[in-house]
Formats: sequence, structure tokens, C-alpha cells
Amino acid sequence: MIKVLFFAHLKDSIGADSITLQMSGESISSLKKAISEQYKVDSLHTVMAAVNEEFADESTILADGDIVALIPPVSGG
Amino acid sequence: MSERYSRQILFSGIGEQGQHKLAAKHVLLIGAGALGSANAELLVRAGIGKLTIVDRDYVEESNLQRQQLYTEKDVEQKMPKAAAAKKHLEEINSDTEVHVHIMDATSQSLEPLLQNADLLMDATDNFETRLVINDLAHKYNIPWIFGACVGSFGISFTVIPGKTPCLNCLLRAIPLQGMTCETAGIIGPAVQMTVAYQSAEALKILTENREVLRETFVSFDLWSGQFHNIKTGKSKKADCLTCGSDPSYPFLQLENTTKTAVLCGRETVQVRPPYAVELELERLVRDFSAMGYEVKANPYLVSAQNENERIVVFKDGRALVHGTKDVIHAKSVYQKIMG
Repeated sequence: MIKVLFFAHLKDSIGADSITLQMSGESISSLKKAISEQYKVDSLHTVMAAVNEEFADESTILADGDIVALIPPVSGG
Repeated sequence: MSERYSRQILFSGIGEQGQHKLAAKHVLLIGAGALGSANAELLVRAGIGKLTIVDRDYVEESNLQRQQLYTEKDVEQKMPKAAAAKKHLEEINSDTEVHVHIMDATSQSLEPLLQNADLLMDATDNFETRLVINDLAHKYNIPWIFGACVGSFGISFTVIPGKTPCLNCLLRAIPLQGMTCETAGIIGPAVQMTVAYQSAEALKILTENREVLRETFVSFDLWSGQFHNIKTGKSKKADCLTCGSDPSYPFLQLENTTKTAVLCGRETVQVRPPYAVELELERLVRDFSAMGYEVKANPYLVSAQNENERIVVFKDGRALVHGTKDVIHAKSVYQKIMG
């Protein structure tokens, strides 16, 4: 199982702080695609991803027990 | 050193030596909104030698809730933020030399200001300017500190050329339609927390305590209590066009900047995005509505009207800002929506 944590407005769009998905062996890119389809949210293309508190690129393969954080690059200042 | 800095000197990380170093340092602060005014006040109170501020905007009523340097009088007088900031900062600490530039921050306008800058502080509200800062920092080998916030959420990262990954390494695509304070709102504590992370790092750099810099990308949400400290060690890309082995500094090239043009005979400015984009118009409708605009849309464009202007945005990111001939104002309106 993969635990996915949502930050900023993603929490509101998804309707939860975190979810758990059966996506071991899949890439970050497939995970983002699955989430945006399942929850009908805007594209997660520019959202930054961290796996177990380390930045991860789109091709990173997820392993059972990984914790993924999805962090939108907000721009306010 | 005077009594003024005695408590800061007592702090073991700074001491007499650190205080002398601060007094000899020059910080270039880009942006004088919420992050800018709070960072400016902290650095000036801490006793830095010189602060240069760049900002294109003037003070409005909706700024007062979180932009701590400004007053109702500044709103009445429609003071440019940089000029109002200078006045208040000089009253706070006359030891610090404060220079201001009331202008749009672009690669051309910022480059001449980098001479003798020890640190660049990001207090902008859009990624286009941040990527210009990122390129300039690497071209001139000056550290810079990224900070951004919306709602109750904030992020910050310290970029040291030649050492850490850069912003261009961390972003895999340029976030247009990023969340802004205008579209998602903001509470003061999110500003203060972002500034606390930025300015603590600034004090370390300015007092030459680089060995204790926080090497992580920090992200927090003060409403939900979430906190994430993300390691970035594996993110530095050898072929990065900004910080890699053969840099071309893409965001300093004129073709990669937002273009504006006044349309002949009309009170209209056309704004074109720096990169090829395909906007999500539904999201744009939501963003404009959240900002209090009256919105109409069809599959090709979104038209939004408020008491000041009418903006038409096409799917390819091109916008017409009606009711103005001021290109800097039009660009500012555009970037407040797009991030």
C-alpha cells in the first residue's frame, strides 16, 4: 500500500488530508494520473512529489509502505 | 556595538563578530508585498548594512491585513510600496541604508543591481520572476532564498549556487495557474512563518554560518498542523540549464519573458505568456470568481470584469487587459491570476 499526503488546496480538492492506494510497483507519474482521474481534480502535472521525505521525479517507482507527499508549487508572496 | 543589538549578540550563533558581518552586508529584496515587508523589517531590525528593494506596485486596502509595513495613510496616498517601505524602515533603523527601485523586476532591470549584493531575497508573487532570480543568482554566484505562501500554507528553500539544486531542478514544469493570494486567500501567520524560515536562513548566510544552513525544502500548513522537511540531495540535475555543467540561463533570454503591448487606439494592453501553454479554462473561471470578478466563458476564452478592468484570457494564455494603457499594471494583473 502507498500512503499519499496532500498539501495546500489539494486537500480541499481531494476532500482528505491523505489516502491509501494499491500502487506498489507503479511510477509517480501513474500515481498522479490515477488520482486526478479518480478524484476529478485539475492536472497534477506541475505538482511536486516527495517519497519518504525526499524529492522524487516522475519515473520513480513506488514500493510497498512508501509515503508520498504531493506539494503544489504555490506562488503567493 | 551599541546596546541596540545586545540581545542578538548574546545569541551564540551571531555574537559580536556576526553583528559586524551583518553591518557590512547588502541584501537585494525583490518584492515588497507581504513576504517583502516582513523580511525587510526583520533584516533592518537585525542591523544589516544595506537593503535594496524592488517593487512595481502601490499600497491598496486589501494589503493591510498582512503587509506589516503599511498603514491606512499609505493606502489613502496610493504610495508605491517600495517608497512607503523605505520611509517606515528608516524610522525603524537609521543604521541601515535603504535603496528602492519602483519598477518591474525583469532580468534587464535586476542585473545592474547585483553588484555587491551578498544575498537575493525572493518576495515575489510569480514563478516567472523567481526563475529570473534563480538564473541571475547562478550567473553571478549569489545565494538566494525562495519563499511562497497561500492560504495557511507556505514553502521555502535556500539555493546556494554550486552546492544545492536550483529552483529549475526542482520544478519539472513551469507552474502557470499556480495558486496565488488573490485566488486562494492568505492568512497573516502563513506569511510570518514563511518569513521566519527565509530570514533565519538569511541571518546564517549574512553572518557566514553556511555550515548550519537548512538543506531541505520546507513545507507547512498552519491550519492543519502538517509539516514536511524534504531532502533535495538527489534533485540536482547535471544537465540543468541554470545550475548544470553548461548553463545557458534560459530565463534571462528575452524570448522567455511575458510580453506586453499597448493596442493602438484602445485602452487595452495585450499580455502574452513566456512559454507555450494550454490553460484549463474551468479553473480560470473559478479563480476569477474567487477574486470577485464577474465571469463569462466559452470554449475559447474567459472574460472577467470588475470595477477596475475587463480581462479576456484565451486558451493559449494570451490576455487582453481592457481599461488601461499601463503595461506594468496589466502584467501585474496577469501574474496575480496566473501565479
